[in-house]
Amino acid sequence: MYDTIQELVAASMSQNKPISEIMIEQEMAKNSATRDEVWSQMSKNLDVMAAAVKRGVEGDGVFSKTGLTGGEAVLLKKYREKGHTLSGDSMVEAVQNAIATNEVNAAMGVVCATPTAGSTGTLPGVLFVIQERLNLDRDQMIRFLFTAGAFGMVIANNASIAGATGGCQAEVGSASAMAAAAAVEVAGGNAEQSSEALAMALSNLLGLVCDPVAGLVELPCVKRNAIGAGNALIAADMALAGCTNKIPADEVVTAMDKIGRGLPRALRETGIGGLAGTPTGVKMKMTIFGQSVDVS
Amino acid sequence: MSGNYKSVFDIIGPIMIGPSSSHTAGAVAIGRAANRIFGGIPEDITIHYYESFAQTHKGHGTDYAIISGILGFEPDDKRVPDALDIAHEQGIKIKFIEEEGDSPIGHPNTAVCELRKGNREIIVSGCSIGGGTIEIRDIKMDGFHIKPKGPLPILLVQSENGGNSENFSDKLQKINTINHHAKYDAPGKGTMYEYDLENRLKQKDLSQLASKDTKMVYL
Repeated sequence: MYDTIQELVAASMSQNKPISEIMIEQEMAKNSATRDEVWSQMSKNLDVMAAAVKRGVEGDGVFSKTGLTGGEAVLLKKYREKGHTLSGDSMVEAVQNAIATNEVNAAMGVVCATPTAGSTGTLPGVLFVIQERLNLDRDQMIRFLFTAGAFGMVIANNASIAGATGGCQAEVGSASAMAAAAAVEVAGGNAEQSSEALAMALSNLLGLVCDPVAGLVELPCVKRNAIGAGNALIAADMALAGCTNKIPADEVVTAMDKIGRGLPRALRETGIGGLAGTPTGVKMKMTIFGQSVDVS
Repeated sequence: MSGNYKSVFDIIGPIMIGPSSSHTAGAVAIGRAANRIFGGIPEDITIHYYESFAQTHKGHGTDYAIISGILGFEPDDKRVPDALDIAHEQGIKIKFIEEEGDSPIGHPNTAVCELRKGNREIIVSGCSIGGGTIEIRDIKMDGFHIKPKGPLPILLVQSENGGNSENFSDKLQKINTINHHAKYDAPGKGTMYEYDLENRLKQKDLSQLASKDTKMVYL
C-alpha cells in the first residue's frame, strides 16, 4: 500500500505504468485475486453508476420522500436542449449527471459510494461527460475508477472521507480531487499532473462544512456534488495546461485533515449548524420530523 | 497513516441503497457484525446512538440500516428500507436511544448495539468511519470483554479447553498477516483469541481454520 501521493506518483513514473495499473496490481496481490475478478467487480460498480445517471433523468426525474430534492437533473437536461448554457454544454452535462446521481441517492435508490454516498455524484458527473468528450471506451472508464480509487485510498488513510469527522471537504472535496486526478490520466496526462490536479481540486474546497438540513443527505448535499464535478473538470484542465498547485498534494491532504479536526461539531454532520441551522432549515426539520430543535 | 482503507473497493463502493455511506451502509455493516457475534437473530434489540449518529439517525435511515444488518441483510439488499417493518413482523422488540454524551469509543458516528435472546446478551460498540467502512472497538459476549483496535477484518476464536493457540496462529500466519492479537479468559467459558488481520479471509481459508473444539466469529 502507498502511504503518500508522492510515493504513488514515484511508483507510476519509475515503473512506467499508469496509476490505474498500479492499483489493479496492488488489489490482486492484497486479496490474492485474479485480474478478472478485480476488473469485473469494478465493472459492476460502473454499471451501477451509469444506471443512476440514467434513472435521474427519466420521466419527471426522481424525488426523495421528503420532497426536499428531486427533478432538477431533468430541469438541467431540458435547459441544455435549448443550447444556450453559459458555461458550455459539457459543464452543464457534468452538473446534470452529478445531480441525477445524488437525487437517486436521496430517494434511497441504488448507488455506488465514490467515496461516500453523500458525494456519490461527483465522480460520475465527471466520468460520463469526459466519456463523450474523449470517446472513452469501457476499459478506459474502468481504469478511471481504479485511478480515482488509488488516490482516494491515500486521502482516506491520511485524512478522512467522513463528513462527521472532516466536514464536506472530506466527502465532496475528496471526491472532486479523486475525479480530477483520474480525469487527467484518461486524458493522457502523467501521474505528476494527476497529483497536481488533485492538489488544486482539494485546495479549492478546503474548509467546506457538512451542514445537512434535518440531517438528510439532500440540502445542500445534492448540489455540492455539482460543484465537486465542475471543480474537478476545472482542476484537471488546469493541470493538463501545465498549471501547478505549488503546495504539494500530500500537504494539502494533511491540511484538510487538520481543518476537519478543527471544525466545531455543529458543522460536522450533526444537522445543527450552517444551512441546517438557518430559520428555513430548522422549519424544514420540524415539518419532517415534527419536533423542536436546538438552533444555538 | 491509519491504513483502515485496505481495498480500492472501500473507496469505489460499496454498491448500496442511499442515502449515506457512513450512516446507512456503515450502519448495515455494524449491524452485520453484531449479527455474526450474536450468531443469529435476537428477540430484543437496543441501539444507543452517540454524537452525529444521535443527531441525524432519522434523516439518514440509520435505524432501518442497522436493523437490516442485525437481520443479516447486505447493504444493497432491496429490503433494507423496510427492515423495521420486517423485524416488527417477526416480533422483535426494538429500542433506539439518542445518548447526549460523548461516544464511549471516541468516534462521532457511534452505535452501541445490545442484542438479547433468552438469557443471552451481547453488546457490540462500532463506529462508521466513512464510505461504508467501519471499526468494531468493543465487544461484550459470553463473559468476555474484548477490545479490538478497531479496523476489520477481525477473527475471534473461542476455545473451551484452552486450545492450541500457537498451532492456530501458525496456520493463520501462513495465509494472512496478523497485525495484532490478544487473549482473553472468562471463567467457565474458556479462552478467546482475537486476531486483527491485514487481509480479508476467503471462505476456503475459514473452512481450513475451523475445528471441532473452537468457535470462530469472522468480522
